[in-house]
Amino acid sequence: MRKHWGLLGIFLVVCIVTALYGKNFLTAYNLMNLVQRTALFSILALGVGFVIGTGGIDLSLGSVVCLVGIAVPWLLIEHGWSPWAVVPIVLAGSALIGLGHGLLITRLRLQPFLVTLCGLLLYRGIARWMTGDQSQGFQGEFAELRSIAVGRIPLPGLEAFRLPATTIPLIVLATVAAIFLTRTVWGRWLLATGSNESAARYSGIPTARLVTGAYVACSLLAGLGGMLFIFDVGSAQPSDFGNFYELYAIAAAVLGGCSLRGGSVSVVGIVLGTATLQVLRNSINLLGLGSQLEFAVIGAVLLAGVAADELVRRWHAARLERRGAG
Amino acid sequence: MVRTILRTRGIGRRFAGVTALDGIEADVRAGEVLAIVGENGAGKSTLLKILSGVLAPSSGSIEEVDEHGHAHELRLRSVAEATQVGIALVHQELNLAEHLDLAGAILLGREHHRFGWLDLRSMHAEAARWLARVGLDLDPSTLCGSLPIAQRQLVEIAKALSANARILILDEPTSSLSARETDRLLAMLDELRRSGVAIVYVSHHLDEVLAIADRAIVLRDGRMAGTLERASMDRATIERLMVGRDLPPTTARPSLGAAPDRLVVDGVVTSHRRRRPASLVVKRGEIVGLAGLVGAGRTELLEAIAGLGHASGTIMLDGRALSGTMAQRVARGLAIVPEDRARHGLFTLDPVRTNVSMAWLPRGAHVGMVDHAGERDLVDGMITRLRLRPSDPARRVQTLSGGNQQKTVLGRWLAVEPSVLLLDEPTRGVDVGARHDIHEAIRAAATTGCAVLFASSDLEEVLLLADRILVMHDGAIAGELARESATEVAIMGLATGGALEAAR
Amino acid sequence: MGAGYLYCARLRGMTIHRTVAILATALSLCTAMAIAPAADLVAAQKERIAGYAKQPMKSPHLSFVSNGVADFWTIAKAGSLAAGKDLGCEVTVVFPGAGLSDQKRMLEDLVIRGIDGVSVSPIDPKNQMEVLNQVAEQSLLITNDSDAPGSARLCYIGMDNYLAGRQCGELARKGLPGGGEVAIFIGRLEQDNAKRRWQGFVDGLLGRSTDAERRDDHTKPFTEGGYTIVGTWTDSFDRAKAKANIEDVMTRHPKLALVTGLFEYNSVLAVEVFRQAGRAGQIKIAAFDEGADVLVGIREGIVLGTVVQDPYGYGYESIKLLHALTQGKLDAIPKDGVMNIPARTITKDNVDTFWSDLKAKLAAGKAAK
Repeated sequence: MRKHWGLLGIFLVVCIVTALYGKNFLTAYNLMNLVQRTALFSILALGVGFVIGTGGIDLSLGSVVCLVGIAVPWLLIEHGWSPWAVVPIVLAGSALIGLGHGLLITRLRLQPFLVTLCGLLLYRGIARWMTGDQSQGFQGEFAELRSIAVGRIPLPGLEAFRLPATTIPLIVLATVAAIFLTRTVWGRWLLATGSNESAARYSGIPTARLVTGAYVACSLLAGLGGMLFIFDVGSAQPSDFGNFYELYAIAAAVLGGCSLRGGSVSVVGIVLGTATLQVLRNSINLLGLGSQLEFAVIGAVLLAGVAADELVRRWHAARLERRGAG
Repeated sequence: MVRTILRTRGIGRRFAGVTALDGIEADVRAGEVLAIVGENGAGKSTLLKILSGVLAPSSGSIEEVDEHGHAHELRLRSVAEATQVGIALVHQELNLAEHLDLAGAILLGREHHRFGWLDLRSMHAEAARWLARVGLDLDPSTLCGSLPIAQRQLVEIAKALSANARILILDEPTSSLSARETDRLLAMLDELRRSGVAIVYVSHHLDEVLAIADRAIVLRDGRMAGTLERASMDRATIERLMVGRDLPPTTARPSLGAAPDRLVVDGVVTSHRRRRPASLVVKRGEIVGLAGLVGAGRTELLEAIAGLGHASGTIMLDGRALSGTMAQRVARGLAIVPEDRARHGLFTLDPVRTNVSMAWLPRGAHVGMVDHAGERDLVDGMITRLRLRPSDPARRVQTLSGGNQQKTVLGRWLAVEPSVLLLDEPTRGVDVGARHDIHEAIRAAATTGCAVLFASSDLEEVLLLADRILVMHDGAIAGELARESATEVAIMGLATGGALEAAR
Repeated sequence: MGAGYLYCARLRGMTIHRTVAILATALSLCTAMAIAPAADLVAAQKERIAGYAKQPMKSPHLSFVSNGVADFWTIAKAGSLAAGKDLGCEVTVVFPGAGLSDQKRMLEDLVIRGIDGVSVSPIDPKNQMEVLNQVAEQSLLITNDSDAPGSARLCYIGMDNYLAGRQCGELARKGLPGGGEVAIFIGRLEQDNAKRRWQGFVDGLLGRSTDAERRDDHTKPFTEGGYTIVGTWTDSFDRAKAKANIEDVMTRHPKLALVTGLFEYNSVLAVEVFRQAGRAGQIKIAAFDEGADVLVGIREGIVLGTVVQDPYGYGYESIKLLHALTQGKLDAIPKDGVMNIPARTITKDNVDTFWSDLKAKLAAGKAAK
């Protein structure tokens, strides 16, 4: 947590400013919305966090969101499949996509940027071709299935605030990820692989398997996220669904302290980074700033956050240097 | 001819209240080699950083002395400023940009150009001149990344020379060089000295210091332990001044008798360009040294045994074939301490603790969960056992000295009590005290039954540590020498392709 | 260059003549400066049409180009193809999925393929003059759905978006007679039809006179005659963003009385969000287009009604007009160059008949690959 003071500061400043100058920021309805959006985007960011931890990158995530998000209503409505078949199939499919990335990167030694950039084009292309570029939606059906994402769980003692159902998969995934990264041998080894792959190999760590695993996890979570997104929004268009989501996820992870050079991942940081981005987007609306400014504000805050982080890191390193020289 | 051109006046440096360096008085004279020796943490690197403009002194001053003997103060605020007044530092860690070719690396920042276009022909010609000066016969368009480490070091020196340095500071320049290359370097430095260059030479190889230095400054705990003129320099005096104590005698090696074979390498052909088979045996509890010139195939052989890189032939451990990936071999009890610790050994941004426990983790794990208490105990124990300094498990490895970094990598493997310990240049860039500690730890591991196979270009180390010496030449084992009958001359004879008989 | 094209011609087995024609077309596309003024291009097209009167084209190749991908365009596709079948001509329908540059590329490709007539819904007409006029120079150009004033198009087929917007605004006014807070959601405001539709809605809501040239500032909230327009939100077609916009506006404006979604999915998402928040029916919705959830909402009484265009008509009439032109019938173009296909207002009374008709047309469009 210590290394997240900067980010927490930015998060609180945005919250306080919005609460003071915006309208109804602290209403139950708005908080529910924010929790929901944070949960959805955090699931994506957690996945890419693993890949960033190994020193890689996954640009295909938004397209996997699209492919899965399109495939779910397409199979359910257009083809009349049972949800019991569709959900496992799309999740297995996304894991397979990750496996493909992992094998291309570890076996063929292709650059992650390149492999996943091709994935970005490929999966969106498949989604558009598969559906003939038609928008896909649930057309008012499958309300029960969709409640996985749109459901709200009543909390004892709270009247207005009901917990968005997506919080549950997020809490489970974040807990598992945090335990994995900090408490398990494989988690330690994953981060070691990211900080120096060659040293990891010389330490007898099965680096190829770990890297492949990270890509599988990333695509699987992107698939899960895509499914929850489509449950939440109800309909999607293959040409724009999930556009730029990989960048939101990567931005959140980096804001949350994950180094793009690999070797450091923080689950708390990722969730906090996502929350910051979502509160920021919310506050632009609540402050009445006009959505034209949105990208500029997000870009500026990201840059400020990352720059502040780097300065803190240097200051810290300089202190160590002073302590350690001799 | 011999004239002081740079002088330090009571230089000192404090970090957060701790004195790292105090009262250093040094004269750097044109046409002279000034050696700076001292243990880890004695202040050598701080002094070098001050001389080369990386750090500013917190007390005292540096003076430049002109030909009339007038001194004026020099305030170096950056490496660039130091370079401008003719001070060049050849760093211990290799700093060449891997993707540049030699010409580009040597002339980095001073590229030749005509009308904004790089003049590659003239750059290559100049680079070739400097390469020849350090005895490297290489095409200037070779990529730095493709060079073995020994040659990169020479390229670094060529780079410093090409910058017209008046004062050349060499930090452990021979740590990766073979004996022959070291001789060539010393001859080259002698030539530079004749041409009037002032050389500041930092090395823990006292042989070299004794061979080339005109004067030596011995540092201990940040202070001057003594300045020795050439006439009064001898190994015992320097060591005594450095350590401030007498090193304990090395542990006597027990006789192995009829110990069973532990590691058997039979007809292994590695990625070495000559593709010649190599065979060897290491017994339980035995320490075998692999000597040979740089490029003889020692690293390739060690890596083949570890399962890194392609190789054919059979390798047996305790009578069972050893094969598969490195991870699988590690599970069988194999360990390797690589040559280039920064690249292949360390997680430099991580603390000592995670570096040391990395290979041990699965042993202490319950259902895949790390045993944190066990890890703490293990690392604390290892720090004490290897005399790791500072004894702080949370310290980032990046900030440690070379010797302590090497201890960290060694500790990672000692933690798993390996059956076979492979080491490639176990004490390169490591000073006397740490070298002693590392050797003792290796001996202790052997005593518990571990089969140790190490490669070293440092003949002194080979003779000191090995029970038995194998000499490699051109990818194959050229001959074997028993500890008692081995001499530096005999090893060099085999290493350079001479017959076993002739060497004897 | 010469050797290059000879080589190319031999390689592809084409006649030299054809190769030269393609090279010339490609070259003219590259050199926008060479395009004549719009008026001259209109005259040139009419001259060609007059030529067709003497020698009508046999089975001309015509094209219908959308401004994006949606069910709306699938219905238009059904109309285009039906017309092609009725009139015996080849019809190519293309949907640019990635915006302006994608549409430009598709238009250029059609011209290079030697298309005889194009009906296009321009995404950003002011900035597309060059490519539109290039089409006019090589082929016959009409616009549908969104007009390109000042271009060399011969005719615009579509609904007057200002009037359609007014219909939606009047629907809202009728549903909210006492005034109140109103929010407007629209995918984006760059294109002309969006701007006109927006202005029409505002004028209809506020009960103003009909004046398509009026322009209010959409970036600022304003109050008039008891109605407060609290703002207009765009989302660049990101649906998660569009949904968040509606949620955030509900949060910021607790007294919100009515919203309108001027693009299809904006209305659908409004229904979605209000249902999730348990406020369906409390905040009124004046919808645009025929999203399934909107139609269900009308049936249930939580949506006031929706204004629908007739995309089938756009498609059918586009092809019909282009075909007539290739037969030399210049008088098929209306005098003012605008063929109005009016919008319809669907309310609870006529929603069921409308829906069954719609399903049949959509199925026809999807069946045609």
